[in-house]
Amino acid sequence: MRSSSHPPLVERCRPLLGTTVAVRVGGLPADEAHAAIDAAFQDVGLVHRLMSFQAPGSDVSRLNHAAQDGPVAVHPRTSDVLRWACALAAASDGAFDVTVAAELVAWGTLPRPEGERAPDPRTSWRDIEVGADGRVRFHRRLWIDLSGIAKGYAVDLAVERLLGRGAAQACVNAGGDLRVAGRGCEHVLLRTDSPRAPAPAAMIELSNGSLASSSGRSHRRHVDGRRRRAVGGDGFVSVVAERCVVADGLTKAVLALGSRSGPLLSRYGATAYAQSRHGLWRSFGVPATAGRA
Amino acid sequence: MTMSHRFFLLPLAAVTLSVPAQAAVYLTVEQAQALMFPGATFTADVRTLTRDQVRAIEKAADVSVRNTTLKLWRASTGGWFIVDEVIGKHDFIPFALALDDEGAVKSVEILEYRENYGGQIRDAAWRRQFDGKRHGARLKLEADIQNISGATLSCRHVTDGIKRLLATYALVIAPAAR
Repeated sequence: MRSSSHPPLVERCRPLLGTTVAVRVGGLPADEAHAAIDAAFQDVGLVHRLMSFQAPGSDVSRLNHAAQDGPVAVHPRTSDVLRWACALAAASDGAFDVTVAAELVAWGTLPRPEGERAPDPRTSWRDIEVGADGRVRFHRRLWIDLSGIAKGYAVDLAVERLLGRGAAQACVNAGGDLRVAGRGCEHVLLRTDSPRAPAPAAMIELSNGSLASSSGRSHRRHVDGRRRRAVGGDGFVSVVAERCVVADGLTKAVLALGSRSGPLLSRYGATAYAQSRHGLWRSFGVPATAGRA
Repeated sequence: MTMSHRFFLLPLAAVTLSVPAQAAVYLTVEQAQALMFPGATFTADVRTLTRDQVRAIEKAADVSVRNTTLKLWRASTGGWFIVDEVIGKHDFIPFALALDDEGAVKSVEILEYRENYGGQIRDAAWRRQFDGKRHGARLKLEADIQNISGATLSCRHVTDGIKRLLATYALVIAPAAR
């Protein structure tokens, strides 16, 4: 456990959501801090189990198997993520779209669901219907992949859980998608793996907000929902937004939209920092609250 | 409380030096034991895997066994506590695995994590940006930059490590406990 100018901080880390999730709390006695962290990990673990593309019994697998045949009852967390996904898809005019799993399967990024027929190639987020009762129906045969948004959603749940347990300070970092709440601020180094090394390193100082990053440079490709093509090229994007679910989803939209993402970001009160393949940084959306150094 | 953020760049001229690493220590072995088996006492049962056992584990788990020392404890409340490590992107990642009496995973805690910065932040001029901006305290970069954001790092190495230990349980620990 780390020492800091605001002791006591308690921090733990577990392998979840395909990455490592670190949870840090301040302002609670050690036993309460550990109980709060346990509860936060349970929230993240629930999202992990419900929204896995691979696990046969997950909500996502059940939807991909049966939601085109009629409404499927899912956990309220799953309906909630799908509502966020559809809202972000609508706001980005489909640049962010969770129905791109067929492309990810075709590229070998995701494993092919066993025994499933391939989806209808005309599908989009518009074919997803989340009923008022939370049941989910697909209007065409389609596969969703929530990995572009579920991590951010899990981070939000965990941070809210920690604050609900009385933490004065909380930070949850799921492999670089993170949210900070309460007193103090966090410093986040952006590791861009620029192809033109050495490139300028960048850092974001963040209070009471979220930061997520996506890169066209990683093995894990992202899809432009409108054109169904890989996006990002050699680009790298970090998005700062109040909620991590929004920051997470917006990174993929900004990779697809580039300099045209300003209105989308402004709508969510968000800022994007994009590094080009030449190592140059640009920002879009709402200007940083404090002056740039 | 309202959101605020600032963006800082490291001047190009400074980016020529070595790469420092972030190191976070989450839990000691004793802390992990107390969290994963509340109220239990522990009996150390360290073992050395034989060559045949290593081969059998590698075959069952499809993961190579790098270390033949098995750091194992028996919990007084039932179950097993194992400390192991895997090689991450750049360094060893020690972790603790708690198994119940049947050998099922109770919980996993990563004990320490070290990560590559991918950049150089020792430059004095760049650091001076932060002087006086944080309640008058100078930012201690190695200590205060506690997060890295980038393309998500996979935790496959940890998952493989758990797979290897579950095979170790089935082939080495469980037969000896019967």
